[in-house]
Amino acid sequence: MFGSFIKKSRAKSPWIMHFDCGSCNGCDIEVLACLTPLYDVERFGVINVGNPKHADVLLVTGTVNHRNKKVLKNIYDQMPEPKAVIAIGACGNTGGVFKDCYNVVGGIDKVIPVDVYVPGCPAKPEAIIDGVVAGLGKFAQKVEDAD
Amino acid sequence: MDTLILVIIGLVAGPLLGGLIAGLDRRVTAWFQSRQGPPIMQAFYDVAKLFGKEKMVVNQWQILCAWVYMIAAAVSVALFFAQGDLLLIFFVQAIGAVFLVMGAMAGKSPYSHVGAQRELMQILAYEPVLILVFVGIYMVTGSFSIEAIWAQDMPLLAKMPLLYLALGYALTIKLRKSPFDFSTSHHGHQELVKGVLTEYSGPYLALVEIAHWYETILVLGLCALFWHTNVAWMAVLLVVTYMLEILVDNTMARMTWRWMLKRVWLIGMGMSVVNLIWLYAG
Amino acid sequence: MSNLLLLLILLPAAAALVCYFVRSSAVRTLTVVATGAILTAASLGLLGQGTFEPIAVGSFLGISSDFLVTVLDFALLAVIFFYGIKHKSLLIQVFTLAQAALLVWFEVVMLKHEAVPALMGDQLSLIMVLVISIIGSLICIFAIPYMKEHEEHLHLKKSRQPQFFFFLVLFLGAMNGLVLSNNILWMYFFFEVTTLCSFMLIGHDATEIATKNSVRALWMNSMGGLAFVLGMVLVYMKTGTLDVSAILAAGPQGALMVTGVGFICLAGFTKAAQVPFQSWLLGAMVAPTPVSALLHSSTMVKAGVFVVLRFAPAYVGTFLSTGVALCGAFTFVACAALCIGQSNGKKILAYSTVSNLGLIICCAGINTPLALTAAVMLIVFHAISKSLLFLCVGTIEQAIGSRDIEDMRGLYAKFPRTATITIIGILTMLLPPFGVLLGKWMAIEAGASTNVVVITMLALGSALTVVYWARWGGSLMATREEGAPAEKQAALIRLPLTVLCLGAVVLSVAAPWFYNSLLAPWVGAAPFTMSLGSLNSATGSFAVVPLFIALGLGLLFAIKAASGFRKAKIAPPYLAGANAEEDGTYIGPMNGPVPFVANNMYLGELFAEGKLTPIFNLLAIALIVLMLGGAL
Repeated sequence: MFGSFIKKSRAKSPWIMHFDCGSCNGCDIEVLACLTPLYDVERFGVINVGNPKHADVLLVTGTVNHRNKKVLKNIYDQMPEPKAVIAIGACGNTGGVFKDCYNVVGGIDKVIPVDVYVPGCPAKPEAIIDGVVAGLGKFAQKVEDAD
Repeated sequence: MDTLILVIIGLVAGPLLGGLIAGLDRRVTAWFQSRQGPPIMQAFYDVAKLFGKEKMVVNQWQILCAWVYMIAAAVSVALFFAQGDLLLIFFVQAIGAVFLVMGAMAGKSPYSHVGAQRELMQILAYEPVLILVFVGIYMVTGSFSIEAIWAQDMPLLAKMPLLYLALGYALTIKLRKSPFDFSTSHHGHQELVKGVLTEYSGPYLALVEIAHWYETILVLGLCALFWHTNVAWMAVLLVVTYMLEILVDNTMARMTWRWMLKRVWLIGMGMSVVNLIWLYAG
Repeated sequence: MSNLLLLLILLPAAAALVCYFVRSSAVRTLTVVATGAILTAASLGLLGQGTFEPIAVGSFLGISSDFLVTVLDFALLAVIFFYGIKHKSLLIQVFTLAQAALLVWFEVVMLKHEAVPALMGDQLSLIMVLVISIIGSLICIFAIPYMKEHEEHLHLKKSRQPQFFFFLVLFLGAMNGLVLSNNILWMYFFFEVTTLCSFMLIGHDATEIATKNSVRALWMNSMGGLAFVLGMVLVYMKTGTLDVSAILAAGPQGALMVTGVGFICLAGFTKAAQVPFQSWLLGAMVAPTPVSALLHSSTMVKAGVFVVLRFAPAYVGTFLSTGVALCGAFTFVACAALCIGQSNGKKILAYSTVSNLGLIICCAGINTPLALTAAVMLIVFHAISKSLLFLCVGTIEQAIGSRDIEDMRGLYAKFPRTATITIIGILTMLLPPFGVLLGKWMAIEAGASTNVVVITMLALGSALTVVYWARWGGSLMATREEGAPAEKQAALIRLPLTVLCLGAVVLSVAAPWFYNSLLAPWVGAAPFTMSLGSLNSATGSFAVVPLFIALGLGLLFAIKAASGFRKAKIAPPYLAGANAEEDGTYIGPMNGPVPFVANNMYLGELFAEGKLTPIFNLLAIALIVLMLGGAL
């Protein structure tokens, strides 16, 4: 009984951590906009924690370059299971317009496993919220599969 | 036997009530900020989710300290419901506070360490004020025991108004509300990441959160004692106090430990001493 | 029983002589261990026989013991005067000469030489004998391997251990004599012996700073001796007797007599290093650790508070009592504040000791049954915990080569046993349900009935203590690598540490029974009733045993949860994702590793020793003048 309450709670209390992997900050501004009273993601229980150890969902923007891929991996490893990763924006998904540059890795899924891709340049807050909700669904699925 | 029943009520109802208050707190804060806010049960969802996370620690001292913090907070609430000695209740609660600080210093995390030092400053600020509040209660009722308060005809608030205001300082610090939330805060992203709580995660963070609920109940219970004669007025007092706390939280910025020490020691202790002089003279 | 008393006072003197003259370390070890065991057994035996009325001590080899004490007294003053000349200290010379002159005048002109039963054994004496004999013996045993290592470290060619152990063991006998004295002249004599022992032991290492600090200790304690003689004379002028129990039974007898008692209390203040005299104790920290543990935390300084406490019935209800409480409370908060600015481990322990002694003196000044109970509780439990902590710091210092708490950070990684014992020691000083907190709780509840000034100082002091203990305890905790080499510790070091650690915990559990059997009869109007292992009274109750059970079970559960920690995922600390290989290091500017550095907040702008000490000294002198003047 307590176990099912825990399962239910996972979807109701997704704590996010937001990390910028070389983004132009366009997507980052939209992510932070989600936290403002206009979009108010806290009604879904979302809190922006700055600490991977407290986070369930990692929101990543930017193309990832050879310097911050180590940091990204480190932060991902410091998140306790179960966790989900959401790549935001065209750069995060595939590298966007910068895909063939020499200094970019080209997409977050080249470094860590990604659960949800949110397209856009920048992605709209509504799309980001959609992505988080979809991510929660996958979250629950992952936990079911793991049990 | 009655005592045992009260203790069990305290131990079980304490965290439940504390969680509800935490949820209501976030709801009212959201209202202040013109948004909707999470459901009232959100605190329980948070803690349940945390219990379901993978266990991840830096070393075993963190596990030990998180458990001892929660157990000490629970025991202090149990003692409170058992109508025990206020000074003893405070010292038992201090066990938890000390272990929280020590657990934060156990790993090699700069954020944790600075958070722990700031937490010690917070303890330094509120402890003398709380002790003087208990001395004030002793002066009025003749005893440090909670039982003696029920025998009073007049509410304590009538004889100890300034001490209640000083208690408000201690309440603000204990609830981790701005301007005294520099050690760790419910608002995200402070300059120390999460300060004292940075390295706690998963189930151990859940334990810390439950301990925080117990402490909230303890301090609110202490405020409730100030109007013990009438349940309705007690409720009004608690609601007004808590709303003021939320208002202060939303309108004030986070300050520094120096500012806090100066304020709480000069104004808080000053008010307490003046009130005590009234009580000693009378 | 008189055999036991003889044993407790004279055996250490004999053992000391053996230690000095027989220059074999094996014989010395055997002597010290045997003396320790016999003293422990004798003190327990004395306790078992119960309290006794003042008894007379007969003559030795035909010479009356009173005469012997007088002769030795003057010999002692001569020795101290000699050292005053040797170290060119005018203060020592003046104080000693003044004492000698006053003493001569007193003994020849004033004193009607009546027979006074010289030794008494009420509950306070028996408790003090236990503390001295058991804790003292453990510390002397600890000193054996410690001094061996100490001298190896200093590359001494000729061992100075004979004179070290001479004074260390002799001191135990002097302390026993002091607490068992019923004749005020005998009390003064033993008081001065402890002064001499302290002086010799502080200056043991014979370095420039050790000599300087030992001279400072000597002049301050000589001043205390002068105050003692002056007080003794004033008291005799009114009461006409040297019999301590008679003086106590009579109670306060007019301004002159109470002022005399005030001067005796002043002697106690200097011995207990109260503000403004705390600098001698701080300076005494240069001595080897067993000296600090034995003399300057658990025993000799307790002689100072013992004197104030012993004479409490003689000034109950007078202004002197309020004055003593104010001075004590002021020392409590002042030294707690000074402690915050310290990072030297021994200085932290020293300031904390002075602070707690101030609390005990404050309780003696409050002079209610509750306060007196608190005072004795604090004496006993503080002695155990503080000596444990000093021995820990000594062990740590020999292990890592430093006594700064910043260097002790993360000690658990290399020295788990010592670190754990130190953490337990710190917790017994700070938290309920342990004895020191029980005493502090009683003290605050007693202080609430006095006046606003005292209780505010107690509240502030209590808050300050949390800061300096918690940060030290926390900094010792660390991650220990799997398969790290086990900690090596000499058996004679491990024994005292373990015994004291267990003793602190077990005795705290037994505190209600200790109170019921020994303290309740001593204070007369017992402040608490004991039921179900709790101490209850109308003003408040402390559920000792229930708390121990609840918190103990909780702790066991927490330990069990923590011991499985290797099954949890071990993660490095959060360092913004830039963690390097080594724990706590991160990749910083220019891709270089930045090691982990942390420091405690010492709040130098508010609590620096240099800034606060002059202010506190001035305020304390003012309070002492107030206390003595008000008594008149």
